[in-house]
Amino acid sequence: MPATRPTMRKLTELLDPKFMARLDSLDVLSRKILQGKLQGERRSKRRGQSVEFADHRRYVVGDDLRFVDWNVYGRLDQLFLKLFLEEQDLTIHILADTSASMGLGEPAKALFMKKLTAALGYVSLVNNNRLTVSLFGDGIRTQLAHMRGRNYLSKMAELLLTTDCDGFSDFEKACRDAAAGRIGSGITIVVSDFLFKQGYETALRRLVSSRYDLYMVQVLSPQELEPQLGGDLRLLDIEDGDAAEITVSSALLKYYKRNLAAYCSELNDFCTRRGAVYVRTNSADSVESLVLNYLRRVRLVR
Amino acid sequence: MQWLTPLVGLGAAAVAVPLLLLLYFLKLKRREQIVSSTLLWKRAIQDLQVNAPFQRLRRNILLLLQLLAMTAMLLALAGPILALRKGPGQRYVVLIDRSASMNATDVTPNRLGEAKKQARIFVESLRGGSAMSLANTADHAMVIAFDHHAKVMCNFTSDKRQLAAAIDAIGPGDGTSRLGEAVTVAQAFAQSPGVEASIRTAETPAQLILFSDGRIADLETIVIAADELVFHRIGQTQDNVAITAMKARRAYEQPEQVEVFASLANYGAEPVTRDVQLGINGDVRAVRSVTIPARQTGTEAEASSPGKVAVNFSLSHDGQGVLEVRQLGDDALACDDAAWGILEPPERLSVLLVTEGNPVLESALRSCPIARLDPCTPAGFDALDPALFAVQNPYDVIVLDRHTPAHLPRCRYLAFGAVPAGIDVNSPRELENQMLVDWRVRHPVLQYVNLTNLFAARARVLELPRDAEVLAEFTESPALALLRRNGSTFLLSGFDVLQSNWPFEPGFVLFCYNAMNFLAAQVDGGEQRDLQVADPITIDDLPAETTVTVTRPDASEVEVAPDPGGTARFPGTYRAGVYAVEIPDESVRFYAVNLLDAAESDIEPRQEMALSSATVAAQEQRVERANVLLWPALALIALILACVEWVVYNMKVRI
Repeated sequence: MPATRPTMRKLTELLDPKFMARLDSLDVLSRKILQGKLQGERRSKRRGQSVEFADHRRYVVGDDLRFVDWNVYGRLDQLFLKLFLEEQDLTIHILADTSASMGLGEPAKALFMKKLTAALGYVSLVNNNRLTVSLFGDGIRTQLAHMRGRNYLSKMAELLLTTDCDGFSDFEKACRDAAAGRIGSGITIVVSDFLFKQGYETALRRLVSSRYDLYMVQVLSPQELEPQLGGDLRLLDIEDGDAAEITVSSALLKYYKRNLAAYCSELNDFCTRRGAVYVRTNSADSVESLVLNYLRRVRLVR
Repeated sequence: MQWLTPLVGLGAAAVAVPLLLLLYFLKLKRREQIVSSTLLWKRAIQDLQVNAPFQRLRRNILLLLQLLAMTAMLLALAGPILALRKGPGQRYVVLIDRSASMNATDVTPNRLGEAKKQARIFVESLRGGSAMSLANTADHAMVIAFDHHAKVMCNFTSDKRQLAAAIDAIGPGDGTSRLGEAVTVAQAFAQSPGVEASIRTAETPAQLILFSDGRIADLETIVIAADELVFHRIGQTQDNVAITAMKARRAYEQPEQVEVFASLANYGAEPVTRDVQLGINGDVRAVRSVTIPARQTGTEAEASSPGKVAVNFSLSHDGQGVLEVRQLGDDALACDDAAWGILEPPERLSVLLVTEGNPVLESALRSCPIARLDPCTPAGFDALDPALFAVQNPYDVIVLDRHTPAHLPRCRYLAFGAVPAGIDVNSPRELENQMLVDWRVRHPVLQYVNLTNLFAARARVLELPRDAEVLAEFTESPALALLRRNGSTFLLSGFDVLQSNWPFEPGFVLFCYNAMNFLAAQVDGGEQRDLQVADPITIDDLPAETTVTVTRPDASEVEVAPDPGGTARFPGTYRAGVYAVEIPDESVRFYAVNLLDAAESDIEPRQEMALSSATVAAQEQRVERANVLLWPALALIALILACVEWVVYNMKVRI
């Protein structure tokens, strides 16, 4: 396929071909089997257009004549409609944080985020799911909506590779926009460091919905998890320039780690209470193991 | 507690405290570090501050330590003194000896310097009477410097800076030391309240604090209670070689021949050999090496006497000159190593003999070394124009034999058998058959003159004024007298030599000789050129509105204006040496000021002073500070605090 070659080549900048090969065997799994707009490859509780027969019902005016069971009409001279178990498509919405804070870290959190987004997007597109990738900072900056099929891999790769991380983060606005643009049902995956000064609770509440599974992947750099600082420092927030003057001491580091753990644990609790799944990762870990092992275990992919 | 230099401390504080605070705010140059979010860090800082209140203290403990260290340093700069002496304030008189012997350099820098140093310590140790002192009221002190006379440097005060300044102002002198005047002055001041008259009554006896080497001439005349005087002995050694006498004289027969006699004394315990040098007008004429025996120690300290040796030089010099005899050798006291003498040019007298005829007197005068002897009758003398006589002044000496002249030009007179009129001497009657009963053997006129057998058949009674000097006395009247009147000098003899057996005595010729020499010495207006230290230089007969310039031995100059009578007096001869006096339109006159005092050259410090009333022993110890100077302790505290601050800072960074 000459058309996919550049796509694959571009995507290989983010994903290892071997990894992609393994991803081919995966699919995104929704815990809530929800109705999609188009016929998908997923069984829905709704009966509709599908291969798998479910039942008959009487024709009422206005029904699609295409679904009339003409054989039954021939025998019974009554109009019945064939009902199928409809196989529905799954909408996968990936919200990736591209604020300036994601650009920090060694290795950068942004790279990890892009790889993860690419991997999940790849799985979604390969399995013909509807994929929306939204990159947000102070609101949603760029969005590739309603992609379906391998042909969109290049577009997705293009988007991910050309986006730089900068600017403020306004998580609530991003979530508001994302929730508003969401249609149907599916899975929402948020990839961010979740270090929002204005808080994440209001924002996440907007994303919580009965029709969407919610996955939250918190990416932290090793420097954030285990700070290697010393001396008298003036810490500058990369986003709002806020300064914190510290004199690094063991006590301070101890309190920092305790706070970090508490923060993550609060986020986890918040997610659990609302039926969302929280995943914390280190930007130094490999995306492969995360996707192939951990996300499988939490049944995001299968 | 008192402050020596409070202003320095305050000034330093005004600069340093704001500077430290400024530095504290400026000093931490933090390294900047960009992080994803300060969210967690701020929470951590909050937790740190909330959970560990000591942290805040620890941050500030550096500032606290620095402030403490600086406070200690600033206090040290202000020079605090902790006064430990208790009790009510007293009055002290600090007596500082500045006589010649105090110039001895056996202690550094010299005895006077050491005395001033100890006196300063004593003054600084006085009780200040401030709120932080243990003393109830302040001590008062006055400072008197004395040599042959006393000088009040500072009246009673409790201002230590004023006292210290007064002590510093005491300069050295080459005078002899006499304590009596100083004690009198001190007692007089102690009677009256000081400049800071307080509630203290005058009955409180003031304590005398004496800083001296104890070589004081008039100790036996002083009456003080032993507990009133505290004697601080200054000085260590007795080794000194001094010139104690010096005299230059022209030979009788050959006036250009000069004989110089000098006496050297060795006060040390070992005999010494020294070179003695004679110079005239700055040129060295002779150097002679002499060995001076050691001091002879008697059974008691008082009985010891220095080893002495006499040196004489003879040289040929016709003309004026300044002689200098100097012993070449280092010793503790420098001002007695040299003596100076003024050598007058040889002069021969012109003598006018006014007589009806007296071959005895005339032949006696002719035997004297005089240039000219002009006999003259009394009528001839009276016929001379006195105005012309005063201007030309052709005769140095006029000898009046039984004549009362009508007028007396200013001159030197030797009068026999009659009393000149107008000189306050009356001669109401005549005596007969007089024998001399007393005469002054040591007077220059009667030197070597034996008057034991002098008999006068007739003699005039001399009724002398009070200022006349009686040289010899008959039983009822003075026989020989010396009197100065109207610028003239009169040597009066109440009897006629022809009415006595004197011409047959060898003493008569000697008397004439001595009288001529004595009167010749009066030629220069009775001016004395060889002076002792502190003798004033007196210059008579100066024209009005003339200013004379006196050059001291140290080359400093002083201008002296004469009084309306034409006499200029310069009393400031406190240092030994040659003083030059410049009078306009005249040649420079030199005056030799010498110490030449065997007692003052004896620099052995006394262990005890035997006053007439009591014996005062020297203090065993030097003057100690009774007050504690706090600045070294404060400086140490500041250093320790700085070290602690450093340790704390390091601990804080490393944790």
